[in-house]
Amino acid sequence: MTYEPPVTDYDYIVENCTCAFCGCNCDDLDFLVKNGHVVAVRHACRLGASKVMEDLDQRIMVPMVRNEEGVLTEVSWDEALDTAAKYIAESIRPVFYGWSETSTECMKEGLELGEYIGAVLDNQATICHGPSLQAMQNAGYPIQTLGEVKNRADVIVYSGSNAMNSHPRHLARWAAFPRGYFRQRGRFDRTVITMDPKFSDTAKCSDMWVGFEQNGDYGFYNAIRAVIKGKKLQSESVSGIPAEDIYEIVETMKNAEFGTLFFGLGLTHTLGKQRNIDIAIKMIQDLNAMSKWGLTPMRGHFNVNGFNIFMAFETGWAFGVDFCRGYGRYMLGETNTIDLLVREEPDCFLVIAADPGAHFPNGANQHLANIPVIQIDIHWGPSTELADVVLPGSFISVECGGTSYRMDGVPIWMKKAIDKPETCRDDEWIVREIKERVFKLREEPNVAPKYVPNPGLGLLEKGD
Amino acid sequence: MHYANSYLEKPVVGDPNVAPRAETIKVLKCMLNTGSDIYQGACKKRGSTLKEEYKNASGTAYMDPRDMAKLGVENWDHVLVKTDYGEVVVNAARSRDAPHEGTIFICKGPWANTVVSHETYCCSDPTYKGIHATVEKTDREVLLMADLMRWVYKKYVDEEDDDVVESMESFGERPFYNGRKWEELEDHDI
Repeated sequence: MTYEPPVTDYDYIVENCTCAFCGCNCDDLDFLVKNGHVVAVRHACRLGASKVMEDLDQRIMVPMVRNEEGVLTEVSWDEALDTAAKYIAESIRPVFYGWSETSTECMKEGLELGEYIGAVLDNQATICHGPSLQAMQNAGYPIQTLGEVKNRADVIVYSGSNAMNSHPRHLARWAAFPRGYFRQRGRFDRTVITMDPKFSDTAKCSDMWVGFEQNGDYGFYNAIRAVIKGKKLQSESVSGIPAEDIYEIVETMKNAEFGTLFFGLGLTHTLGKQRNIDIAIKMIQDLNAMSKWGLTPMRGHFNVNGFNIFMAFETGWAFGVDFCRGYGRYMLGETNTIDLLVREEPDCFLVIAADPGAHFPNGANQHLANIPVIQIDIHWGPSTELADVVLPGSFISVECGGTSYRMDGVPIWMKKAIDKPETCRDDEWIVREIKERVFKLREEPNVAPKYVPNPGLGLLEKGD
Repeated sequence: MHYANSYLEKPVVGDPNVAPRAETIKVLKCMLNTGSDIYQGACKKRGSTLKEEYKNASGTAYMDPRDMAKLGVENWDHVLVKTDYGEVVVNAARSRDAPHEGTIFICKGPWANTVVSHETYCCSDPTYKGIHATVEKTDREVLLMADLMRWVYKKYVDEEDDDVVESMESFGERPFYNGRKWEELEDHDI
């Protein structure tokens, strides 16, 4: 890295903006604005700053539809919205995927449309913390807020998460370094343990690194649970970790005044999937018999938790909700985007504020090449290469206000700082327009046929 | 006008610092992990996905220097990574987290997607980590994002032959579409 002088050439500063990058939702950012563009960001990490100071070369500025030669071509907003609405109205198994980088207000419009048309609504949790949500249903959710961590926690465990790379301010603002009410000396009052097969950047600034072997998470946590319960380990090492190290880790964890486990995708993407999280949650429950412990999943996008909270509140399920039968259904491995795409079920795919082109495995994305894809986004990304209709949205927290939920479930209002480009529209407006156009094209909502009880039961009651 | 930025053409990697071997192997068997790192994250979230920068941040296999010596590759040589699910050409570079002999790390992105497993085992989540892979040295080029998407998914090309699609004219590093570009829409002086 070369030295960069501070930016002094700006028109005005917008203070206390919220970062729209990761689940930390840092709300202390200052944007330096010049000629209607953010030219510098104060207090943000490298990721947040780079997101706010976007690459304008690749900003999607105009609505586009593919022409016969397969080249995206600029069209009017009316034509683009009509084309999108037509694809949705004519489909029988649409999937609305994304939502994690847009506002909760926009999700409301999307849910209304999804319920009406009988779509599957899913978000990025399906490829990141889906197993964590299943594990919460299995084992519970002993959570605390990040403020509690800052003021109280003296033992911090990162498991399968490289916070220094994916949530760079997490250690600085909440977990390891800040001085809190009961932790006046900041980093010196805290013990940081990182559990990761990789000697990651987070491990490098931790007090203890536990490099268990690949796919060894489940065995390792089971060993910790056994030791917490006072059992003696029968083998010399578990998942590549010597027994005496496990005893030492357990001793540190048991003696914590307030401990917190932050877990990331290292646990959810390996073979154990939700069972890894199950066992981690149970470990926290066991630790609570002798100390005070909580956990928080390290959510990736700024509002990925928002969609899960919103959907759980509205429909009862956090993600992967299928309305095709006229009522909500949720079945793991059946109504989730990856499984649907691998089975080649969807016939229309709406992607809003997400990038399946960049983050879905090849085997799932192959089906996107067979079906119409509608994209609502701010940047030209891998998904644009597969999209048939492209609608330019606006940037929540910079060009448009909105509500989002932090990784610990605290809702935060993200205010607007600058005006959006004239040719772009708010995500909420775009989804509402599509919804109203679909309502005109398909007059009847997708509702289940009226429930008719088994006529045989009636006969039994009469005693015939 | 000065514009604070975080552009970096290539991620910063160390020197392999392992003496080259007299005998190298052709194919290295290893475990493939994927995930995010700060270079890939900064580039992706800025939106610079068509750029050379994203190709280098995301389309790079980070390897243990001893594995690199075994294969006889230097930083930024090209390697072909194959799994049961596909194959892709990426850069090779020394991992910042070494040692981890027998494991390679590719940041998430279109390159890694080509070789990761779509198996969810009924848990909604594909298996992005811990996939058996082989690595070999290659002369083929690492494709830019738009070219890679065309080569893998072939949504808007009629040609089915991989070699023909790979050698088609590149889309380049700017969006390819018919219509007004952002410079034409307003008076942009930055």
